[in-house]
Amino acid sequence: MTSAQFRILDPVELNLHRDEIIQLARESWPEFMWHDTVAEENWHEFFDRFGDYQSVLLDVRTNQVVALGHSLPFRWDRPLPELPEEGWDWVIQQAVQDDKSGAERNILAAVFVGVREEYKKSGLSRTILLSFQPTARTHRFENLVIPVRPNEKLNYPLTSMDDYINWKNENGLPFDLWLRIQHRAGGRVIKVCHKSKTVRGTRAEWEEWTGMKFPQSGEYIIPDALNPMEINVERDEGVYIEPNVWMQHSIA
Amino acid sequence: MNETRFQIITPKYLEHYQDRADEIAVNSWHEFMLHDPIANENWHDLFDRFEEYQFAMLDTETNRMAAMGNSVPFFLDQPLDELPEGGWDWVFLKAIDDHKNGVTPNIQSAIQIAIHPDYQSQGLSAKMVKAMRAIAESKGFKNLVAPVRPSQKSKYPLISIDDYIKWTNDEGLPFDAWLRVHARAGAKIVKPCHEAMTIRGSRAEWEEWTELKFPQSGEYVIPGALNPIEMHVEQDKGVYIEPNVWMVHTL
Repeated sequence: MTSAQFRILDPVELNLHRDEIIQLARESWPEFMWHDTVAEENWHEFFDRFGDYQSVLLDVRTNQVVALGHSLPFRWDRPLPELPEEGWDWVIQQAVQDDKSGAERNILAAVFVGVREEYKKSGLSRTILLSFQPTARTHRFENLVIPVRPNEKLNYPLTSMDDYINWKNENGLPFDLWLRIQHRAGGRVIKVCHKSKTVRGTRAEWEEWTGMKFPQSGEYIIPDALNPMEINVERDEGVYIEPNVWMQHSIA
Repeated sequence: MNETRFQIITPKYLEHYQDRADEIAVNSWHEFMLHDPIANENWHDLFDRFEEYQFAMLDTETNRMAAMGNSVPFFLDQPLDELPEGGWDWVFLKAIDDHKNGVTPNIQSAIQIAIHPDYQSQGLSAKMVKAMRAIAESKGFKNLVAPVRPSQKSKYPLISIDDYIKWTNDEGLPFDAWLRVHARAGAKIVKPCHEAMTIRGSRAEWEEWTELKFPQSGEYVIPGALNPIEMHVEQDKGVYIEPNVWMVHTL
């Protein structure tokens, strides 16, 4: 792979490739994740409001979008360990609100990194992660924070996130691949955000999203979720609350 | 489907019968299921003692074994609704004991019906259940029992087996495909057997069988298991206790 193979799209090109970029994002997350109302209502803001903060990588040989990172700026005046439990959902709403009110922003949040299936294992997730650095530097931010989704936790839905983030591999590095990539890129764990994303739906909706059946109330394991979800038959409601991990990267 | 394409055959009919049966087992079971010591220590008894109760389905077009069935005769001296919690492990050992002691059997139990993955969703499971019933009828038994493994429960590991067996589909038949195959053939659900199979291994063994890691003690969901397994790091031991469902075919 040569660096000339890929380049980052500018904000004008971003909108030309908008459908392709959204399609790639959709393929990176399981269906139910797209029914987080914060995601549903605000995804367009990456293009319409925060075009300067998106890292979309094009393979110049095929003219195809192969990796992408969405970030947005917000204002934060308190210590980082006080970042809220509602991680992902909170930071997106905060960023939109700060932009609308014209608040002076002082920190960058990365909220999505996705790589096209055929390009996985090419190190592009790291490339995207590092691309947030110049974005933050341009705006004179000192910190990048990320409500990280440790993907491999989907194999361990009964283990608490607080325990899971302490798991190490043989080299003493984080067990989870994505946490490990972040760690190697200089990222440090701030804390778990236990209610980072909330997805609600009727029983019928959850059955459609997962291809499963939910005949009774209780906890269910669903594919690609980091924790069990909870079905309440009487209220015709299912709720999934996803834990993420707040991580911090210093801007060099 | 050509009705004569698939034929029920006995072990003597086919060369390398057990090798071909092993191929189905390896392809249709998750690795950890092949580490039940009662199965592994006694499997040969099926053929040494109960050969007439073993059968397979041959695809006559390709000469491949498409499915296999295993069952055993035993003596049951309690009512059917008192069949034990030990289910599969229990009935396997009971049949061998009875045979060793010369006890005349009065009932038959299914041990396994496995369909090669290439032949699934073609209705062969119903034909296999029918063939097993035919053996029981030929022996003059009044009942065929089965500690059935409701394999779709692997998607619902947090639901108790007691609840799961009550789930029904739109036709009012059992939700689970294997329970439904038996129900369609006329079987009734008796009750769950909560400890039908027990599989133990060291942490390293479980890591090898499942390709997962178990850094701490606690419950884990593993692919293909009907309940979570329990890992004890201090004792270097993982235990899986599989629940099955006793079903009865009255002949």
